[in-house]
Amino acid sequence: MRIGLLTEGGYPYVSGEAGLWCDRLVRGLARHEFDVYALSRCEQQETDGWVPLPPQVSRVRTASPWEPEDDGIVLGRRARRRFAEYYGELATALCTAAPGDPAGASQEASALEADRFANALYGLAELARDEGGLSAALRSDTAVRALERACRAPGAHRSARQARVPELLTVAARLERALRPLSLDWYEDDALGAVDLCHAASGGPAALPGLLARHFCDVPLLVTEYGVRLRAHYLTEPDAPPSIRSLLAAFHGRLAAETYRRAAVITPGNTHARRWQERCGADRAKLRTVHPGMDAAPFAEAGESPECADPRTLVWVGRIEPAKDLVSLLHAFAEIRRAEPGARLRIVGTPSGPEGAAYLAHCRGLAAQLFPDEADGPHDVGRNPVSFEETGGPELPSRADAYASAALVVLSSVVEGFPAGLVEAMFCGRATVSTDVGAVVEAIGGTGLVVPPRNPRALAEACVALLRDPERRERLGAAARARALELFTVEQNITAFHGIYLEILSRTPARRVVLDDMGEPLPFGAPAEAHVPGRWADPAARIAVRGGPGWATDTPVAATTPVSATEGASR
Amino acid sequence: MSGLGELDRPETPRSPGAWDERSRRSLTGRPLADRPSAVDAGAREPSAGEREPGRGERETGAVGRPVDAREREASAVGRPVDAGEREASAVGRPVDAGEREASAWASPGGRQASAPPGDRQASARTRRGAVDPVKALMHRHRDLCERAVDPLEIAAGLEAHGVTDRTAARFRHRDVFSLAEEMYARVSRDTEPAPRPAEPSPPGAGATWVVYALLPGVLCAAAVAGLRLTEGRPRLITAAVGALALALALRAALRRGPLSAPVRTSGTWTCWLIGYALLGDGLLRTALAGGPDALPDGTADGAWPVTAAPVLALALSCAPAAGCAHLFAVRARRRLTASRGLADFSASVRPLLLGAFALYTGVLIALLTITGAVLDEPAAHPQALTLGALLLLARLLTVHGHAHAATLVLTVTAAAEGAALATLFAGRLPGCGFLAVPVETLVAVCGPAGVPAVACGIGALTLLVHASRRLTRASAHAGTPSSEGLR
Repeated sequence: MRIGLLTEGGYPYVSGEAGLWCDRLVRGLARHEFDVYALSRCEQQETDGWVPLPPQVSRVRTASPWEPEDDGIVLGRRARRRFAEYYGELATALCTAAPGDPAGASQEASALEADRFANALYGLAELARDEGGLSAALRSDTAVRALERACRAPGAHRSARQARVPELLTVAARLERALRPLSLDWYEDDALGAVDLCHAASGGPAALPGLLARHFCDVPLLVTEYGVRLRAHYLTEPDAPPSIRSLLAAFHGRLAAETYRRAAVITPGNTHARRWQERCGADRAKLRTVHPGMDAAPFAEAGESPECADPRTLVWVGRIEPAKDLVSLLHAFAEIRRAEPGARLRIVGTPSGPEGAAYLAHCRGLAAQLFPDEADGPHDVGRNPVSFEETGGPELPSRADAYASAALVVLSSVVEGFPAGLVEAMFCGRATVSTDVGAVVEAIGGTGLVVPPRNPRALAEACVALLRDPERRERLGAAARARALELFTVEQNITAFHGIYLEILSRTPARRVVLDDMGEPLPFGAPAEAHVPGRWADPAARIAVRGGPGWATDTPVAATTPVSATEGASR
Repeated sequence: MSGLGELDRPETPRSPGAWDERSRRSLTGRPLADRPSAVDAGAREPSAGEREPGRGERETGAVGRPVDAREREASAVGRPVDAGEREASAVGRPVDAGEREASAWASPGGRQASAPPGDRQASARTRRGAVDPVKALMHRHRDLCERAVDPLEIAAGLEAHGVTDRTAARFRHRDVFSLAEEMYARVSRDTEPAPRPAEPSPPGAGATWVVYALLPGVLCAAAVAGLRLTEGRPRLITAAVGALALALALRAALRRGPLSAPVRTSGTWTCWLIGYALLGDGLLRTALAGGPDALPDGTADGAWPVTAAPVLALALSCAPAAGCAHLFAVRARRRLTASRGLADFSASVRPLLLGAFALYTGVLIALLTITGAVLDEPAAHPQALTLGALLLLARLLTVHGHAHAATLVLTVTAAAEGAALATLFAGRLPGCGFLAVPVETLVAVCGPAGVPAVACGIGALTLLVHASRRLTRASAHAGTPSSEGLR
């Protein structure tokens, strides 16, 4: 199967976020072929280069929407009229009540608005395809005037109505950048038209090429969101004028809604993302939660030897920053010490940024004040029951060792996304006590204790209860490890995506008809598991392609060899 | 895994609470027993000032939550009404307090008694009986609520502060979204929009571009002086070096400051036009007389006379041109922030453009007069003036992103001048005499200056019309804010 992997500021770039996940996916599904279509996020990212790509990535095409671009394409009169019409529609859709606005009118009205946005978007895309590019037009006076008209029209959103000329210009420029994928030449039959399935690695800008590929070439779209882009958008620019935020939020909201509407399957990474997607109009029938996969191998040793842990040590592992609320943890530990005087706490992690460093210094001060140094006897050098450590040294080579050294892993965050550290602790088979934030409950299930955030006493009570009950600790640890191995391994992640790929393809009408010798269409000629024959019949040819710098390997369409059913099922 | 969802990772809480207050308290040595324990995140720090008057109320409403829950349950039937009701009850505090007192005594007695006495006192002091917990929450997040443009923004902001569905359940909401919707609906929006921040004064462009803009004039003056003071071979070398230096200085001046353009443009046609101003008139005159018989020798009275005065004036006018462009850009930007609509802006910028253009023209006339007098050459006003105007307008259009039209007009003008010369020479061929007639007629009427003056004049007029339409649009001045961050 040929999969078009769409990323934004992600995969092939070294500094890309979620790059690790994509890399594992691509390497894990080696029997499929991947075409990577990447939008870069900044110049730095481009200069940093790519990660080494496995041979199954047959082509990579990139675009840089951050670059100011002047294509110098001047639209003719008819094209300009079409552009003004579509852009006006788009602007009107953005200026009327926002999608999440309950004040907005009834269901039909909002469906009408969504249709209007979609029509305008695809109209602009068609225009861009006909004319070869739209970036000059999207920044032209025609666009700004259309925006102004929409903002001043009756029924426009309150904050959109406040927009003045500079804001209109900024919005036009930002929309131009967001719509840059429209001007790309990715939607031809030799590019995204040739893939069987588009897999967008995130929502928002990365999904836009997928939407257009679906519109132009009927390629099914799969959207994976580990973090909701719409939500990230709300958090990034809190200080911009309200009119800019309102219009851009409307754009991103409508784009997300349209993406969810058109996608064949949406895979949120956790319940939180799922709730946002449902809120933005995703159909529940399309949602499949696929938990992020993590590499369990480094933690296997610790997980299989629960006896090597020091029964009186607690460990906290993570990046040190205020949101982790280490102060609460220290206060809780003070109470734990009152109940269990021999308890020790290891705080393992590096501060993130200057704020984190200041917070670390603060926590060290607090720890020194709360807990005096202790020595075993009058002639020994004392040490503090709370130690701040970093991994990588000879004493603590990796995080797995940190988890392994302790009987109990504590998480005290007040804000948390998906708690990767907690899952690592689960892999290590350690009992955990965590605060009820973010996706903690979802990850831990019933295999650890959960307390309210900012409640040191509750945290302390839970810790003491587990410290005093080694049997319960062991039971919880074993259950946690079993749960993590079932839900959060790389393998489950890859298997889930493999299954979803096949599911989507099995529901997609065949776009390419295979003819038999008589010239009759051959039913089931191109099954979901179809491969290019060169792949395994002639490995040498494959290597030649692999070594070459060019990515253009246009594979023949009709001549495909179906794999045997057993092989397909065994994967 | 570490890379996953980096962007979406919730923000650090900005509200004071996570680590400032408590830790400061413990660092200043207050005993730990005094610490508020088991405080629930929702009602942790609702504005102490607001609640101060109802001290008695707080004492009695010690257990707070059950009372509050019942109250909300009762009013939770019709939510829209509910909001108004709560608003009202928040205003009428005394009545409300009395009510609560009664109900507080009535209901949670058993639980109060069961709590250990020390604990109860501590929690009584800290746990304020929240009449309207959503209002307290709104007060805590008032910045967020006031600036939110839709409920989802409030939801995202609340989540970044650690509010989860479990927290929202305490406010009797199904999830954060519906809590955010209530908060969004309850924010009063009758206040005027915040005054927009004053436009930051344009960054001190510094003196560098002024220096660069003066460079062509200075170098050209030096080259002209060199030509006047030398003879023979050194004069040839001076001319070559001077031309090269002038070209480089011009390039430097156009790369920086207000005359720098976002796109690279070719200077061929500009050089051709300036070259014509230097040599063209002499060539035309000698060609009409049957020449040229010799190459130009760098003097104004040789076989192929050179007119240095207009070129010097144009080189010197680089600085005023940059000044005019700067003036235009800065003023236009100021109008941009001040104007409310696009039509307003266009109307206010048009006189600005014409003013800047007129200013430059005036300065150029003065420079032409001065250089003509100093170099003792006949003042070549019309052709130099139209050329200067043409070049300025072309540059302005290029700077503001309309390089296409500017290049086109420059090319056409240069081609017209070249064609005029070519027809003169072509007319010497047998049977082609008619080719030279138009130029000869023009020269007979206006003198040799007529050809460049007409060509550049038509070009400048075209560009002026074009500029008064294009440069008065807001999109021509948009480049700066959005692209500055990118470059």
